[in-house]
Amino acid sequence: MGGLDDDEPPAKRLKSSSAELRSLSNSISLVVPIGCSGDTMARPLPSQGKEDMVGSKGVIKRVEFVRIITKALYSLGYERSGAILEEESSIPLYSPVVNLFRKHVLDGNWDESLSALHKIGLVDENLLNSAAFLILEQKFFELLEMDRSVDALSTLRSEITPLGINEKRVRELASCLISPSRCVLLGFSNLGIDASNSRHKLLEALQRFLPPTVMIPERRLENLVEQALYLQKESCVFHNSLDSSLSLYSDHQCGKDQLPSFTTQVLGEHHDEVWFLQFSNLGKYLASSSNDKSAIIWEVHEDGGLSLKHKLVGHQKAVSMVAWSPDDSQLLTCGTEEVVRRWDAQSGQCLHIYEKTGLGLTSCGWFPDGKQLFSGVADRSICIWDLDGKEMDSWKGQRTNITSDVAITEDGSQIIRMYRDNVIVLFNKETEMKKLIEEEQTITSFTLSQDNNHLLVDLLNQEIHLWSIKDDPKLVNRYKGHKRSRYVIRSCFGGIEQAFIASGSEDSQVYIWHRKSGNLVETLPGHSGAVNCISWNPSNPHMLASASDDHTIRIWGLPIKKKAAAAAAADLKLNNGTCSNGVIHLCNGNSK
Amino acid sequence: MAMATGTTDSDHNWQMAASAGINTISDTDVHNIVLSYLMHNCFKETAEAFLACTGMNQPVDYLVDMEKRKTILHSALEGNALKAIELAEQLVPNLLTDNKDLHFDLLSLHFIDLIRSQKINEALEFGQTKLTPFGDVHKYVEKLEDFVTLLAYEEPEKSPIFHLLSPEYRENVADNLNRAILAHGNLPGYSSMERLIQQTTVVRHFLHQELGKDGPPPFSLKAFLNN
Repeated sequence: MGGLDDDEPPAKRLKSSSAELRSLSNSISLVVPIGCSGDTMARPLPSQGKEDMVGSKGVIKRVEFVRIITKALYSLGYERSGAILEEESSIPLYSPVVNLFRKHVLDGNWDESLSALHKIGLVDENLLNSAAFLILEQKFFELLEMDRSVDALSTLRSEITPLGINEKRVRELASCLISPSRCVLLGFSNLGIDASNSRHKLLEALQRFLPPTVMIPERRLENLVEQALYLQKESCVFHNSLDSSLSLYSDHQCGKDQLPSFTTQVLGEHHDEVWFLQFSNLGKYLASSSNDKSAIIWEVHEDGGLSLKHKLVGHQKAVSMVAWSPDDSQLLTCGTEEVVRRWDAQSGQCLHIYEKTGLGLTSCGWFPDGKQLFSGVADRSICIWDLDGKEMDSWKGQRTNITSDVAITEDGSQIIRMYRDNVIVLFNKETEMKKLIEEEQTITSFTLSQDNNHLLVDLLNQEIHLWSIKDDPKLVNRYKGHKRSRYVIRSCFGGIEQAFIASGSEDSQVYIWHRKSGNLVETLPGHSGAVNCISWNPSNPHMLASASDDHTIRIWGLPIKKKAAAAAAADLKLNNGTCSNGVIHLCNGNSK
Repeated sequence: MAMATGTTDSDHNWQMAASAGINTISDTDVHNIVLSYLMHNCFKETAEAFLACTGMNQPVDYLVDMEKRKTILHSALEGNALKAIELAEQLVPNLLTDNKDLHFDLLSLHFIDLIRSQKINEALEFGQTKLTPFGDVHKYVEKLEDFVTLLAYEEPEKSPIFHLLSPEYRENVADNLNRAILAHGNLPGYSSMERLIQQTTVVRHFLHQELGKDGPPPFSLKAFLNN
């Protein structure tokens, strides 16, 4: 133990008697007003000569700092260290009055603990009574446990009820007297086995009524640290990694290296423009659709490589979109103003064809229970089928030309669809209430977030808008920078906790924004044609897929070192067989 | 019945109309009404005197039962609920087993008596042994809690459930007991007087609703008697 007074022989300090300690503490407690009056600061003893404040900014009070460290030591189970710190710093964790109070409570000396409670000097009578009530309640229950119901009754009558508060609780306590099962119901069981544990819990509960300067809240130090970590995480713009990577040793700051920004694979199986793609719900597969009238299901391997699993042929027209069933076992594909096909994802077989005579279908999607599907029709209505093709319902048309997007929330309660060219309607099936999202520009497409609380809306004027839809729809953010003029360009949510927004663009690049701040964080060149659609792997925050008019699909991942890259490339080639066009691009954006 | 018109007092109008039909009521009926009231409330001597005056025939065995019923009810009202229970069971075996609500109410009267005489620990024990079993049945739970809460207060009349100590409560229980015993003897639960008043109240209530201020006001016994 160094630091204090090097002239004093160590033995003396070690044998510091409790009387000495008490007198030290007493002088401190005289200076510290232990009450509800806000500002308390103990002046250290002159002999110590240490500063009142610690830390470079001078906002941390020494006494407070030491006390919460002491508290943390005790709650971590380091009793001896806690006691030594109290002694060495001469800053007791609790004033003697409070220590006495705590001791009496833990020992079950109820009358003494009540008088100690009064000495602590709570100003607010209500708080005092509430605290006394809790203590007496513990006394009451402990008496009942010992089968001393007469004594328990007298405690109730002469001590608890006269406090004049919490009549409802008095009633509940009374009912415990004649019905032991009620005690269990009120959550007060097994007392005999664990009396000390419940007394500790009582102390914790009492802490609520005492000002934090008197009895420091449990886990205060942990709370402060967690607050700091949370703030670091919030301000980390590129944060795309798991919380387990947060460390106390240094401030958390993700580099761009956590974002998928390098092409790890180019998939060239399609023979024409690729218009749409989507990862399956569990991220094990990717489905893409193309102007070449086919759709492809790709399998995502452990090492992050993709290989072709099935090529789905049968449509007579370009396939405009696909939709995974909620359990990922089936896939819907939609031909452009043609039919909708349902495929078994494992076998690649076409299970059913849905069509409306004389009218082409323009979109497709699933109901959350997986038992029904819907499809946009060329006459601008929406048709609903069950799996066998029986028409269940039909919703009348909206007046928009561009998109027949529909989204349904996971609990099936809200249906989101186009109402006018610039208006989206959210229809609540249960309450039959409608909420509207009104934009100033024409809407080209929209996507629902995973938590169903936000809607991402793509607009004609090259902006993407994020709306919160939990209560009344509110515009939360705008994302700009990408190019869109002639085609439907889709955007998506992605990354850890969907903290990013990604979109394709007609300038052949992939755009990524930080969702909260709206800042553009990445533009990824690589494609040689407009990027029509983008999908972020829901179970891998480091994998992104983009579909382009250049007939290819690019898979984007984390930047990897060249040597390892070559090895990885070799592995991919082995695993994939005949998948891609054989060339692995590891570009940082300059090649074609 | 002709509707009287032309006067402003609508109650008076109706009375006029009613009195037009009053001649159809016989003396015997009136005597029966009075007797039924006396019997219902166990006014034994008064009933005997009335019978003698009017020369009516007495119903069979009515005197015996009335005497016993009177004792039972007085026990209940005067703080001897246990005796009331014992006698009631004697008079009508299984009366209380068939009427659990009543049984509970009578036991609770005894509980209240114990509390009032400050025999707290006895009350606690009585509650634990006799009342707790009722707690197994859901509908008694809240009532049971009400009573037990009385134990928690050193001044129960200042507690939220002070009404349980009131004389109205006792009378209510005694009335229920009376009705139960009468029902067993196939006698009506309410005296004919009471039923007549009930009738009038309901009829006037409906008329008042239907006709508003053109009809009679709702029936008030007090107002009627003061008229």
